[in-house]
Amino acid sequence: MKIPTPSPGALARLVPFELLRGLMVTLREQFNPHVTVEYPKERIALRPRFRGVPRLRNHPENGEDLCIACNQCAIACPDNCITLAGEARPEGALLKGKRAKTFVIDYERCCLCGLCVDPCPTEPITAIYMSHDFELAHYARDRFVTADELLYTGHGVTEYTR
Amino acid sequence: MIQKVLVPLVQIGIVLNVMLLVVAYLTLLERKVIAFMQVRLGPRRVGPHGLLQPIADILKLMIKEDITPARADRLVFWLAPCIALAPAVVMFAVIPFSGTPLEFQVFGTTLRVTPWITDVNVGLLYLLAVSSLGVFGLVLGGWASNSKYPLLGGLRSAAQMVSYEVPLGLSLVGVLLFAGTASMVGIVHAQQNAPFWFFVPQILGLVIYFISAVAETNRAPFDLPEAETELVAGFHTEYSGMKFALFFLAEYMNMIVVSGIIATLFFGGWLPITFGLGYLSPRIPEVLANPAGELFGLAGPFWPFVTGLVWFAIKVFVVLFFYLWLRATFPRYRYDQLMRIGWKWLLPLSLANVMVTAVLIEMVR
Amino acid sequence: MDATLLHTQELEINLGPQHPSTHGVLRVVLKLDGERIVSARPVIGYLHRGCEKLGECRSYPQVVVYTDRMDYVAAFAGNLTYIEAVERLCGIEAPPRAQYMRVVLAELQRIASHLLWLGTHALDLGAMSVFLYCFREREMILDLFESYCGARLTLNAVRVGGQLNDFPEGWVEECRKFCEILPAAVQEYETLLSVNRIWVERTKGVGVISAADAIDWGLSGPPLRGSGVDYDVRKAMPYAAYAEMDFDVPLGTHGDTYDRYLIRMEEMRQSRRVILQALDRLPGGDVRAKVPKRLRPPAGGEVYHVTEGPRGEQGVYLVSDGSDTAWRCRFRSPCFVNLQALPELAKGHLVADIVALIGTIDIVLGCVDR
Repeated sequence: MKIPTPSPGALARLVPFELLRGLMVTLREQFNPHVTVEYPKERIALRPRFRGVPRLRNHPENGEDLCIACNQCAIACPDNCITLAGEARPEGALLKGKRAKTFVIDYERCCLCGLCVDPCPTEPITAIYMSHDFELAHYARDRFVTADELLYTGHGVTEYTR
Repeated sequence: MIQKVLVPLVQIGIVLNVMLLVVAYLTLLERKVIAFMQVRLGPRRVGPHGLLQPIADILKLMIKEDITPARADRLVFWLAPCIALAPAVVMFAVIPFSGTPLEFQVFGTTLRVTPWITDVNVGLLYLLAVSSLGVFGLVLGGWASNSKYPLLGGLRSAAQMVSYEVPLGLSLVGVLLFAGTASMVGIVHAQQNAPFWFFVPQILGLVIYFISAVAETNRAPFDLPEAETELVAGFHTEYSGMKFALFFLAEYMNMIVVSGIIATLFFGGWLPITFGLGYLSPRIPEVLANPAGELFGLAGPFWPFVTGLVWFAIKVFVVLFFYLWLRATFPRYRYDQLMRIGWKWLLPLSLANVMVTAVLIEMVR
Repeated sequence: MDATLLHTQELEINLGPQHPSTHGVLRVVLKLDGERIVSARPVIGYLHRGCEKLGECRSYPQVVVYTDRMDYVAAFAGNLTYIEAVERLCGIEAPPRAQYMRVVLAELQRIASHLLWLGTHALDLGAMSVFLYCFREREMILDLFESYCGARLTLNAVRVGGQLNDFPEGWVEECRKFCEILPAAVQEYETLLSVNRIWVERTKGVGVISAADAIDWGLSGPPLRGSGVDYDVRKAMPYAAYAEMDFDVPLGTHGDTYDRYLIRMEEMRQSRRVILQALDRLPGGDVRAKVPKRLRPPAGGEVYHVTEGPRGEQGVYLVSDGSDTAWRCRFRSPCFVNLQALPELAKGHLVADIVALIGTIDIVLGCVDR
């Protein structure tokens, strides 16, 4: 289809009516509500599926480690930032299979792609999940290598109010 | 001695300081107004609603490292911002801020302080002459930097300023014909009895003067000498610290002077805006010119002085808002298109304006 | 006047990698005669990250992450091209619901990309406010993407065999609401720009390229269609569910910047039309086909798959060698090919036009350099 090319009449070519219409647009926009979110005073509400850094979680009912140390997430990761080692579960555990002895994710390398969550086979929820943490800035580089307990609780976020 | 020397010195001191402060807060006003037009907030963090932002900016520019390029022409490099700023500041000498002179009784003598620093009878000519000097600052700054981007910026600004000097001057001749005097105070007095002041009879002159002034002050849509997205920063690329601040000040000072000129020449200076109600009763303009005196019975020249100042300030800010409005809305012209507008459109139109005005005045007389 | 009296010299200026308006790290070496451009030579490579080599070292599903980051403005287009190439290589077909979802998301991404293009193009030419208004609308699209796949820019929204997730609750309604406000927003931009004499003077007649030249240079997308050549991959070689969609492809006549601008504005409207059709006809069913855990396409497989990205024809060429990584993975980037025409477009123009030209080709350096 041919694009509609606007062609102004003779009077419109002399007198800049369209410039005045343009000015009216900006004047009208002045009274529209602003779209600025004054971070960190205000925070944006994140959508449920927001992909922050990957973290681990326990079984929702009996609180046991969900992770069965199958290594699928480490294989799926394009940045090779997950390393884990497995061990047998102790006697009397409610869940079957192995569990993770050590689980390390390097947040410096993680590109927040979420490919690690896809192959996680645990039921009823995946052991690894993309949390809503994205405020990771820190002064020390080695702090980004997150292991074991911190993967469950997450690094605390310093809330700035001003 | 005191009347002739000390009083003007004090006036100069006050006007200079107040104007520097106004320029600083004009930068904040620009950022806030443009931000609101762009549905965002502008500076908010420095002081409540960003009110201390200009102070922060001034402090920052003062303590920033002053870099001079190695092969730049040192003297001219240092001189160029001063040459850009001086004419802008000097033009305030003839702009009348209010109507009523103040009288002070000091040591037995009466001191008369006028709301204008001086009222030469060629005030308009003086303004046009001095404003043309500001071009040199930009051109010299661009040349002295000895660098390609500023060179291009300086060349562009030279071309642009030259193109718009003539329409700038010619568009004001119509006002001159109407007022019969080139003294700024005289022109305001001439508007006292004219309906709608001079902006209706001289609407074409106003439009041409405003467009030329936008081009002279390097503001959008004619801001190619400092087109950020094309030439990094144009003629002031190599400037940093206080020298850059002086260029900035010069630009905003020019804006305020132009707004002051438009307010004085076309919108009646310190005269009150009567919304045409002067026809209903002559009391209305008198009350609006001096509400404290007429309504509350406060005597003395101080209250009409302040009221005139307020009306003048309102008009200046309306024109400044228009400047900012243009910047927020329009793309910028290429310099050959800009020169074409100056030579092919504004110059013939301003000449036509002068001729038609002269003919009409003769016919009415 | 004797030319030797005035010693004139061509000015060689560097529109450096750090510049407020080169859309990334593009360097253009300009030779100027006064303000007239004698030659404009783009120098690229400042954002090269070795995506094609990485494509050989990562397994097929992992490479999607790199396609996000090549054309980071229209990440979904890159994702889709690559995943569809892998699906063709492995002989997998995504279910119809996934195909329609892909159409909806791809057209949303096209609108988002054109909004960013419009904002930055207008900003380069001086109209500051359009930038903010465009981004206000683009935020809504990015919110839609965030609801769907969790990320706003580096989407990773497609998987081999279909989509990972279905649309969440209320997503279709939010998408329809966005489609309702879009025409008014586009009308606002048109009021500010399309008829504005300053804009028309800056863009009409700037960067004219004839249809024959455009085909010779290998241009695609709006630069090609601006010269009147009717070629759109969505119509010529339909993919996903485009064969069942009813939309028009806008064509220009003069091949100048103004025509390309009008084409992209019209494309936004046509994309909205496609989105509404796809949402109306969204079939039910699965969103992902059965896919083996480790993708190992047969050795000697070779596929070149093209799609119509917002910037032009995006292609992925894959050669498999039986292992779970590709033997060769080549990305045909539209910006790289379109950028090669910059010296041709810039001939005879002024310095101020270079910015308009870089904007009208609509380059994203991640896509040029990979």
